[in-house]
Amino acid sequence: MTRLLPDSRRDRLRWGVVLALFLFAALIPPLAGFEENVNPDASARFQIFLGTSALVLALWAISYNLMLGYTGMVSFAHAAYYGVGAYTVAILFKRYNVPVLVGLAAAPFVAAAVGLVTGLVAQRAVRLYFSLLTLAISQLLFSLVYQSYDFTGGDNGAAITVPDQLTDYTTLYYFTAAVVAVCLLLMFMIVRSPLGAALLSIRENRQRAAAIGINVKVYELAIYTIASLFAGVAGGLFIFYQQQAYPEMLYWTANAQPVVVSLLGGTTTFLGPAIGAFIYVVLDNTISKQFPYQFDIVLGAIVLAVVLAAPGGVSDLPSVFVRLRERFRRSDDAEELPVESAGDAIRMFDVRKALASDAIQADEVHSGKTLLSIEHLSKQFGGLRAVEDVSLEVKQGDRHAIIGPNGAGKSTLFNLLTGQMKPSSGKVIFDGRDITGKPPHVIARTGIGRAFQITTIFPKLTVRQNLQYAMLAHGGYTIRPFGIANRMFHAEAQELAEAVGLGEWADLPAGQLSHGDQRAIEIAISLALGSKLVLLDEPTAGMSAYETDKAMELVRRLATERHLTLLFCEHDMSVVFSTARTVTVMYQGRVLTEGTPEQVRHNPDVQKVYLGELEQEELGA
Amino acid sequence: MTPGQLLLFAVGGLSNAAYLFIVAAGLSLVFGALRVINMAHGSLYMIAAFVTVVIANQIGAGLGFWAGLLVAVAVTGAIGGIIEVLVLRRVYGREHLVQLLGTYAVSLVVAGGVRITFGANYRTVLSPIPGHIDVGGYSYASYSLFMIAAAIVIAVGVWAMLYRTNLGRNIRAAVADPDLLNATGVNVTRLYTTVFVIGAGLAGLGGAIVAPSQAISSSIDTDVLVLAFAISVIGGLGSIVGSGIGAVIVGMVISFGLVIPATNPYALAFVFIIMTAVLIVRPRGLFGRAES
Repeated sequence: MTRLLPDSRRDRLRWGVVLALFLFAALIPPLAGFEENVNPDASARFQIFLGTSALVLALWAISYNLMLGYTGMVSFAHAAYYGVGAYTVAILFKRYNVPVLVGLAAAPFVAAAVGLVTGLVAQRAVRLYFSLLTLAISQLLFSLVYQSYDFTGGDNGAAITVPDQLTDYTTLYYFTAAVVAVCLLLMFMIVRSPLGAALLSIRENRQRAAAIGINVKVYELAIYTIASLFAGVAGGLFIFYQQQAYPEMLYWTANAQPVVVSLLGGTTTFLGPAIGAFIYVVLDNTISKQFPYQFDIVLGAIVLAVVLAAPGGVSDLPSVFVRLRERFRRSDDAEELPVESAGDAIRMFDVRKALASDAIQADEVHSGKTLLSIEHLSKQFGGLRAVEDVSLEVKQGDRHAIIGPNGAGKSTLFNLLTGQMKPSSGKVIFDGRDITGKPPHVIARTGIGRAFQITTIFPKLTVRQNLQYAMLAHGGYTIRPFGIANRMFHAEAQELAEAVGLGEWADLPAGQLSHGDQRAIEIAISLALGSKLVLLDEPTAGMSAYETDKAMELVRRLATERHLTLLFCEHDMSVVFSTARTVTVMYQGRVLTEGTPEQVRHNPDVQKVYLGELEQEELGA
Repeated sequence: MTPGQLLLFAVGGLSNAAYLFIVAAGLSLVFGALRVINMAHGSLYMIAAFVTVVIANQIGAGLGFWAGLLVAVAVTGAIGGIIEVLVLRRVYGREHLVQLLGTYAVSLVVAGGVRITFGANYRTVLSPIPGHIDVGGYSYASYSLFMIAAAIVIAVGVWAMLYRTNLGRNIRAAVADPDLLNATGVNVTRLYTTVFVIGAGLAGLGGAIVAPSQAISSSIDTDVLVLAFAISVIGGLGSIVGSGIGAVIVGMVISFGLVIPATNPYALAFVFIIMTAVLIVRPRGLFGRAES
């Protein structure tokens, strides 16, 4: 999306489409009246009625897309909250004589309350099982509504009468449009706020989101609840023009409507589902009028076409248009797939200065303050002891390497330190705080950054956004549902991007950069989080010799300039001995020895361990 | 509740379990091997039910039903093959959302097709095994007992297919590591088609067998699908034994839930309460493997 058109033209086009959409929505009643004049068979009232239903469907679908498009959750229970909204209005009116407008004001809160409670339950499972759990919840709510004859009216549904002022189709249309507009504005604010940025980062990469300090579960529950709140408004508006709530609104298959509509319009844009809603309503009424059974087939064919023609997943829909566009028109400025930063990082590196401060630090380190202290840490998987009774200390300002043959427990140790796994026993003290067994997002906030063995960034966000969102999370701004995330920390992120040699590429999607540059982004994210200790899990794995040199120069420079403490594991011994000041050797889950690189190099046990492995490898074991 | 009533409702529960097991086993088999939740599974069941009813009513009860059953299974198996080749092959290994939507789209197309072909009215067919057996003052429909027996035979058959044949060995290997299996020279692409055809055939068998015991309409696809989901989740997606246990639990809950006055309206709600509880306490179900 970001590279579709030059910025200015893209913005103008986007706002043009938005304006046209709103203008069209505002003009539906007069247009319908005009059409009736030209073509007396077309009833203006019916057309306005359809317009109202399209507005409500748009609101419902956009609220669904808050989950689907912005966090990647597939819920089968969303229709239930829509139904709860409608029933809230109906039951308050019928049983308690509450005016329907008051009911409409209450509907979102009742729906949100039901959404919050059921969302807490649904969150106990992830991905597919989350979806299946929402299916069970949805059917449960449906059965309750369907069977509670006395309270809900059972399969007869529950009817209301709207006040006289709203019985006129045009008035009701504008009333609905006003409510929908307010809701869209609120949702749009959320989407581009720091809170929206947190949600986007969860969709992009859950692991990285947690590693920048975002409590993934809490944010998912929040958006689930917010989505059910707006579904409640949509349900409340539904009953104003249908004057009836019925149990099928809650049945699990009812979720197909917002999903299909979101797909039709595109899940990656905020207003996409609104366009989808209008297309859907038009299709529904042109096709199903003449061919009542064919509508399902057409709908199915459309969904199939969208799903199968967008190989990057549904969230990648605009890329289809980009690809189609490129197929028909080879544009001149079609550039840059993997780009290289051309060694900027190295050119900026002042060797003499770095060496000088290096010398000072090397002495300080071993007498210095302990930043991370690991005490008798163990982790068992069934009978396997992956990490056993490991104790070690990382001094402030040190560059500490952990080496050892495959299976020595290095990666497990890292996972224990950053909270991906909980230790079976032992303690981890960081900067005076006990962080043993804390979840990743909490540990990230205490000041431990991590570059994973498999590069973990937000690939579709720009380089700058990667850093901005980390800064937002670090500053605790991501709870804000207002403000514009992309304008916050703009300069700071740019500065940091420049510091790691990626300033020129700050506006590119991070996933388009070369492997080495993506590594640099990951390290920069740690810096954006203000991490005092940075863990690097095989920082040069899979890199060419050139990339390795470049990456390690960058790491050393940043560590020096920014007084970072490094803890890294690495197989490439030249990297270890050129960078580390302290080396710990692990073997079969235990610490074998520790010392300066020279001491370790000449330790006979270490030689035996590595030789032993070499012999085994030679034997083909 | 007297012992006689207890037996009556238990048999009722088992005959529910019988057809639900056959359908859920197909869903679970496909999920186990292909890692795809087939939203069109209920549609195949519905097609088979209509085909059976139409053929049985043409030829006449008895022979007509058995002919209808065979044709229905063949038709659903063939449609399953077409769906696998045209749709599923493109969604393997992609997000669950894409798989759910792709197969859901198929179910929409099938639902429309069924309504055009067979109309929206209810259809019924006479039981091919009429009569009943009286035990302890209550009578049991022979056909219900046949359904239970048929489910047991199919359970044994599926088990034997999985654990006693080359095909079954390959399927189990594909569940564990499809790439490795491919490297050993097995055509995994064709194996997947075969598994999906078998799964579709089981949905068809379930639909054919249920036809004489229920009124068939064009909305039975989603009703059975959601119950098959519940069963597979309770028993563990991918586990045939789990489908059996899950089907018995769901069948019994529906049967007893409906006859106990206090719970009568909420029989189905109980099914979903159990499903919710299982997903919370043990997401992989009673017999499912942990997802890697």
